[in-house]
Amino acid sequence: MKAIDLVEVQKHYGAVRALDGISAGFETGTLTHVAGPNGAGKSTLLRVIAGLTRPTRGRVAVLGVDLFRSLHAGERGRVGYLGADAGLYGELTLRENLQFCTRLHGVDKSRVDAVLDRLDLAEMSARPVSTLSLGFRRRAGLARLLVSDPELWLLDEPWNGLDADASASLASELRAHGEAGRTALVAAHVVGEYAGLFDRGVALHDGRLEEV
Amino acid sequence: MNAGPRVAAAVLGKDLRLDLRSKDRLGHMAVFSALVVVLLSISLPPAKRAATLWIPALMWVVFLFTSLLGLSRSFLAETAGGALATLSGAPCDRGWIFLGKAGANFVALLGVEIWTAVLFSVFLGVDWSRAVGPALGVALLGAAGLASVGTLLSALSATARFREFLLPVLLFPLILPVLVFASQATADALAEGAVRGLHWGALALYAWVFTLAGYFVFDHVLED
Repeated sequence: MKAIDLVEVQKHYGAVRALDGISAGFETGTLTHVAGPNGAGKSTLLRVIAGLTRPTRGRVAVLGVDLFRSLHAGERGRVGYLGADAGLYGELTLRENLQFCTRLHGVDKSRVDAVLDRLDLAEMSARPVSTLSLGFRRRAGLARLLVSDPELWLLDEPWNGLDADASASLASELRAHGEAGRTALVAAHVVGEYAGLFDRGVALHDGRLEEV
Repeated sequence: MNAGPRVAAAVLGKDLRLDLRSKDRLGHMAVFSALVVVLLSISLPPAKRAATLWIPALMWVVFLFTSLLGLSRSFLAETAGGALATLSGAPCDRGWIFLGKAGANFVALLGVEIWTAVLFSVFLGVDWSRAVGPALGVALLGAAGLASVGTLLSALSATARFREFLLPVLLFPLILPVLVFASQATADALAEGAVRGLHWGALALYAWVFTLAGYFVFDHVLED
């Protein structure tokens, strides 16, 4: 079964064609690496799939539904997007941010402590997110994703700013996600030693998708 | 609890917490309105201060400019850390996010309205004793109208290049009915201790229409 089904998806920003007629399917339970140079359209692709950016043309089905339709709004929680920013509030502590996510997604608050322990962030939980270093903010972003427990992960350059331990921890979370039969698309210039994690590789060039 | 009301309540609680935590937004609005009222009290001839016809209009104009400061910062926390994507991923119609944000703005603006009324009382000698009930009702409906349209326009202009310019340009023409009816209703409340039904109805209708409009279009506002 396809977790993501893209049919002739286009996204234009004025004269710029960020996505230029992409048709592709991504099977449930696969981890896919999306490669491509700067400006190739990787972030746009992930945002379109996440339901954050409406495509100019084409059809996007995610987990069997069209996330842009109000009728399927309840399904948005099944998709987790982690972009360049952590998606957290700088003035709130890490714990408050994660508790806010549990309320948004209607999940048990006990997940907060479990995730903080899992990512070694318990000591940082009482600090406002704005006071965390870039690396810890990236890890906090991953914690946000894990707290809401989405079926589909869309990660944009997730290894940026992470040290070796945190990189390994992210790889381990990705592996566990895949082993649980869940799906992830990871956009990254380079994945280096973690290339083996992925079941499939695709590359974006000038808004067009190619198999690697 | 259903996902929509739960998300709206979570957003409302989060925004109020942010307001109380940073104090930037509320503090700036409180200081700005205090400065304007003090300047008015110095510049207005004492003999004219007792007139109730134009004091309400002046108060609502002060309040409108003050609320602009707060509304322009309404989505700052979301755009600064990429949290707009977090909110957009909530498992409900995005109109509920609008209701949560508008609710938090309503509380902040109502607080600023009351603060401004107190300032007018202290520095310009406005006597609210006969008008507390009706004036509070007008303040509630005025804040609701301003919060609904202000939240919507604040979201629209949040990522624009000229955000500080765009928001007042969009807001002022749209908020004119609230300004007119709230000023007249406040004048009536001060003079007669009562407000005309037409004014109640107009203020309530405005708040209702823009709250509904915000609920239904917010999905498109949040999308790129």
